[in-house]
Amino acid sequence: MTGLFNMIRRNLRLFFKDKGLFFSSLITPLILLVLYATFLANIYKDSFASVLPQGITVEDELLNSTVVCQLTASLLAVCCVTVAFCSNLLMINDKANKNINDFKVSPVKNSTMAVGYYFASAASTLIITFTALAVCLVYIATQGWYLSFADVLFVIGDVFMLTLFGTALSSCINFFLSTSGQASAVGTIVSAGYGFLCGAYMPISNFSEGLQNVLMFLPGTYGTSLIRNHMMRGVFAEMQACGFPDEAMVGIRDGIDCNLYFGGNEVSTGLMAAVLIGSVVLFTGIFVLMNKLKKNR
Amino acid sequence: MDHIIEIEHLCKSFGDIKAVQDLSFIVKKGELFAFLGINGAGKSTTISMLCGQLKKDSGKISVCGNDVEHNFDKISRKIGVVFQNSVLDAPLTVRDNLRSRASLYGITGKKFEKRLSELAELLDFSDLLSRPLGKLSGGQKRRIDIARALLHEPEILILDEPTTGLDPQTRRLLWDVVNTLRKENQMTVFLTTHYMEEAADADYIIILDSGKIAAKGTPLSLKNEYAGDFITLYGIEEASVKQLGMEYEALRDAFRISVPNTAKATELILSHSSLFKDYEIIKGNMDDVFLAVTGKKLAGGSEK
Repeated sequence: MTGLFNMIRRNLRLFFKDKGLFFSSLITPLILLVLYATFLANIYKDSFASVLPQGITVEDELLNSTVVCQLTASLLAVCCVTVAFCSNLLMINDKANKNINDFKVSPVKNSTMAVGYYFASAASTLIITFTALAVCLVYIATQGWYLSFADVLFVIGDVFMLTLFGTALSSCINFFLSTSGQASAVGTIVSAGYGFLCGAYMPISNFSEGLQNVLMFLPGTYGTSLIRNHMMRGVFAEMQACGFPDEAMVGIRDGIDCNLYFGGNEVSTGLMAAVLIGSVVLFTGIFVLMNKLKKNR
Repeated sequence: MDHIIEIEHLCKSFGDIKAVQDLSFIVKKGELFAFLGINGAGKSTTISMLCGQLKKDSGKISVCGNDVEHNFDKISRKIGVVFQNSVLDAPLTVRDNLRSRASLYGITGKKFEKRLSELAELLDFSDLLSRPLGKLSGGQKRRIDIARALLHEPEILILDEPTTGLDPQTRRLLWDVVNTLRKENQMTVFLTTHYMEEAADADYIIILDSGKIAAKGTPLSLKNEYAGDFITLYGIEEASVKQLGMEYEALRDAFRISVPNTAKATELILSHSSLFKDYEIIKGNMDDVFLAVTGKKLAGGSEK
């Protein structure tokens, strides 16, 4: 246990010593938030206003908050995974620098090393994603606050689980990489594609039925929907209080993937959380197992 | 004396390249064992297999009676390895580096601090503990690498070209420490080197060429078998040297005559005693042995 604790400490120290890596990982979600707010907020707002049921007026604060909650939920859903890919590089650096050889001649088990990399990477990613979450909450507060304390706790839990999911997924993929060039290429691909695959950039309800069915098999989809549900619960409650008809609420929830359907059945938030937690356990287990079974050349 | 390392019929290929071919040898407890060979001879491949980092194709490697492939957990606590290049973390301080590595062996807290101060004194790096490893000179880094390998007081110290590129002072320090540990703790040292003077101090030498053992023995037996003697003759005219009918080389104030062995040298001196008034007989060195065995010359890490 002491060996594991020291491995985690060593890995974290190395991460924070690389100030360029830390700050670039930290600043990425913040840049995304600024870009979202600058370029997409008004488009989302207009789009949302145009589909409102006739005869219902919505106050600006509620409209703004709806859009901002949707945007920040998407941003956090993407960042928890893409930041994990950016910060989970130590395992690859150790291979590239051959520092791993020093561990291989020691009594430390491969599985212990894997857990050490996993926890250190999760911890460093959590620092960044929670910072991004704090900034997002401040941004929401400036636009219109409808979240309850429980909502915030749920969102914190969602970010935590999504970060662990991103760390586990990146650990499994990075296991096969051995140079920083490969890691950079994978990071770029994930950054570019993950937002679409998890339904963050575009709700999957906009896609064809076939594609929707495929995306419903990806755990990231449930993570995005889960965080969006918790982030938007308050604005939906306010809309209902304003007299939005139930059909309109269902339409809105369907349109932005707060309601997900698997095989025609609606997936509850509890099930979404279960899928996410199950995925974290599964991918973490696979990563540890791959390390345990790893053979020398 | 115990056999602390036993290697039998070891083979390893990378594609068509046969890096190690049917290697068999033993290392006795407490001895300084040297592995000589040019780059690509198979030294590092053998060490990688010995340290459990590379899977062998066939053969058997046993360290302290344990099979490397199946019982490496037991072996890992008994070996300390100094790699060709430092494998410590450049951004971390010397103390953090050694603390993280010591914890892998369960050495923590006061036990670690005690061991750290012992090693810092032994290798003279007390003033470097708070400095990042990446900011140290090559010689300073090497001392930390050796400290890392010695953290858990291993029975076998594996040194993979440990002194390449080091200044003479650091080389001297390194060897003083190694020799002290050998005397005091009966530590076995497995060395690969390009420096012939280091190999000459070994108890046993193996010369590798293209993955095979080209020669093996003690430095003396190798010199006797593969390198002749040299008689340096002073205060004599060249015409007189020519009378001996032997191959010679003119020096600034002497002539050096090559003879196959000491017996021949004695015979030559006795048969031409009038010419041998001021002379010395010197045995061939390890460079001569290496050249005779492999047809190649070694000089500080490169083939010539």
